[in-house]
Amino acid sequence: MTKLSRRDVVTGSVALTAGSVLAATTISPAAAAAPPAGRQAPGFYRYKVGSIEITVVTDGVNKFKFADNHVTNKSRDEVNAALAAAYYEKDMMTTPYNPVVVNTGSKLVVIDTGTSEANFARSKGAAGQFHGNLAAAGIDRNAVDLVVISHFHGDHINGLLTPDNKLAFANAEILVPAAEWKYFMDDGEMSRAPAGRMQEVFTNLRRVFDALGRKVTPYEAGTEVAPGITAIATPGHTPGHNSHIVASGSDKVYVQADVTHVPYLFTRHPDWHAMYDQDGAMAEQTRRKVYDMLAAERMMVQGFHYPFPGLAYVERSGAGYREIPVPWNPTI
Amino acid sequence: MTELTRRSLLGTAAGAGVAAFLPAMPPSARAAAPPAGKQAPGFYRYKVGDYELTQISDGSRTSPMPDGFVRNIPKQQALAAAEAAYMPKGQITVPFNPVVVNTGSKLVLIDTGFPPGAVPTAGLCQANLAAAGIDTKAIDMVVLSHLHPDHINGVKTADGALAFPNAEIKAPAPDWAFWMSDDNMSKAATDMMKGYFANTRKVLSNVADKVTRYEWGKEVAPGITAIDASGHTPGHTAFAVASSSGRVLVQSDVTNIPDLFLRNPDWHVAFDIDPDKAVATRRKFYDMAAAEKALIAGFHFAFPSLGYVEKDGAGYRLVPVAWNAVL
Repeated sequence: MTKLSRRDVVTGSVALTAGSVLAATTISPAAAAAPPAGRQAPGFYRYKVGSIEITVVTDGVNKFKFADNHVTNKSRDEVNAALAAAYYEKDMMTTPYNPVVVNTGSKLVVIDTGTSEANFARSKGAAGQFHGNLAAAGIDRNAVDLVVISHFHGDHINGLLTPDNKLAFANAEILVPAAEWKYFMDDGEMSRAPAGRMQEVFTNLRRVFDALGRKVTPYEAGTEVAPGITAIATPGHTPGHNSHIVASGSDKVYVQADVTHVPYLFTRHPDWHAMYDQDGAMAEQTRRKVYDMLAAERMMVQGFHYPFPGLAYVERSGAGYREIPVPWNPTI
Repeated sequence: MTELTRRSLLGTAAGAGVAAFLPAMPPSARAAAPPAGKQAPGFYRYKVGDYELTQISDGSRTSPMPDGFVRNIPKQQALAAAEAAYMPKGQITVPFNPVVVNTGSKLVLIDTGFPPGAVPTAGLCQANLAAAGIDTKAIDMVVLSHLHPDHINGVKTADGALAFPNAEIKAPAPDWAFWMSDDNMSKAATDMMKGYFANTRKVLSNVADKVTRYEWGKEVAPGITAIDASGHTPGHTAFAVASSSGRVLVQSDVTNIPDLFLRNPDWHVAFDIDPDKAVATRRKFYDMAAAEKALIAGFHFAFPSLGYVEKDGAGYRLVPVAWNAVL
């Protein structure tokens, strides 16, 4: 410990040279407790799916004042009412990011990558935590065999790059949805995309993939991308958006990516369209289909934008659904 | 890393000397990094005003639901509620979560869980304290909510020494009087109650000189007020931890696991000594907490065991707080 704590001062465990510090310090009448830690626990959580070990590794949380069109078909007042019902602060959107690591026994697979190490400093540590939490979980990113990308939004792909624009997973093959690649790498599509956010999406993903020399392997929906990991087309959020079912033995989990954005808005209200949904109507149709299946089969869902650890069951509730967080298992 | 993994054999890390092994390895054997096989450390921090609180997981226990676990309903109904809550069929999972409060002047542990090794999937409190960087010797005060084993046994280490050697131990006066009374012990009618009397004495009798009794309605530590929540035991206590405008209610065992007893507040868990009083306490506590939208820390809620309670039909529902990735 390099910092002089009040405890040290009060208990005299600091050597005599601290005498001058003592004289200059105003000591509160009460003896001080141990200094506060001032930082959160490392953000990772493990569970088994059959013989497969999954580690949810959080990239952190982005909290921001949301725009009037954040939910394109609902007013600010309606969004605020939903936030209040879920014990969230008015006018603020709290968005967690939760990539997962799947150890199939033969392959170490990362699904989505978070907002990037570079964003850690930019966000003052609130997000961009994925690589730090990987290390805390004892996972060597150089040991990652495959990185599977669900879709091309920045919070899913930016973590592919180190701050100096190198591949963050030096030995990994990068798998991307073929439909996503075809659409977003098409210069015609880019030229027809509206200005503002959509142009930024195109520009950002080209920045990332160009830095990698566009060295990626496209995968088709409906195929196994790694042993036990099957890609499912879940379009609407983006044209080539994919979810992934991880299955082993009789166990499975549905790694949904962005079938819903934050659950306290879009699981509760599947008819609400997030501004991030490129085709709101198609995204809603996909969402209802997936969530009806999850509820009927009592299948666990792993949600990228669910609060860490992001693992839940889904039940029908009123006109929408309700997520039931899976209780933290202290041992695995 | 000292262990030679299959990865290092097949890669270059182990050097040319292993070339002779290569032909014997089947081509499909290229393995991923070995599984970790171990959960993340179970601690979670949050601020209440100027105070820093840390929820500590002592682990949980999953076992077949005993007969009479819920006294006043048919077992089938309790099993159905557990299954509806996604517990393994026929089983019940009960987690244990002590809390550390750093008030700035005192480092206070509320309840203790079990000693290491006492229960296969519990007794993790001391390990998780260490993972959280909290030195057991720096704990100034251990405040016990009531004297049931899962709350007091962690006062001792596995070999019976004091786990928090510099701490004053504070016990609710009515619980101390109840459990330490020879007269009450002689009247214990069930094996469970006999066991509790014996356990209380085994854990606390030889450290009685370290134990101070506290009263309800007063601060047991700066900013930590003891609240009468009797019924579960005669001296069962909840706590309000308050600093500036922040507040959390540490409910202890106002309910056991929420999936059964928060949703069905009239159900009597086997451990409630005065079940009718426990129900009355429960309803009063949650009606108040729901009206105030108060944050609640529940010893038997799933880690990090923090949530809000709202009315739902004839009972209540727990809304767990979202994990905050920064403090």
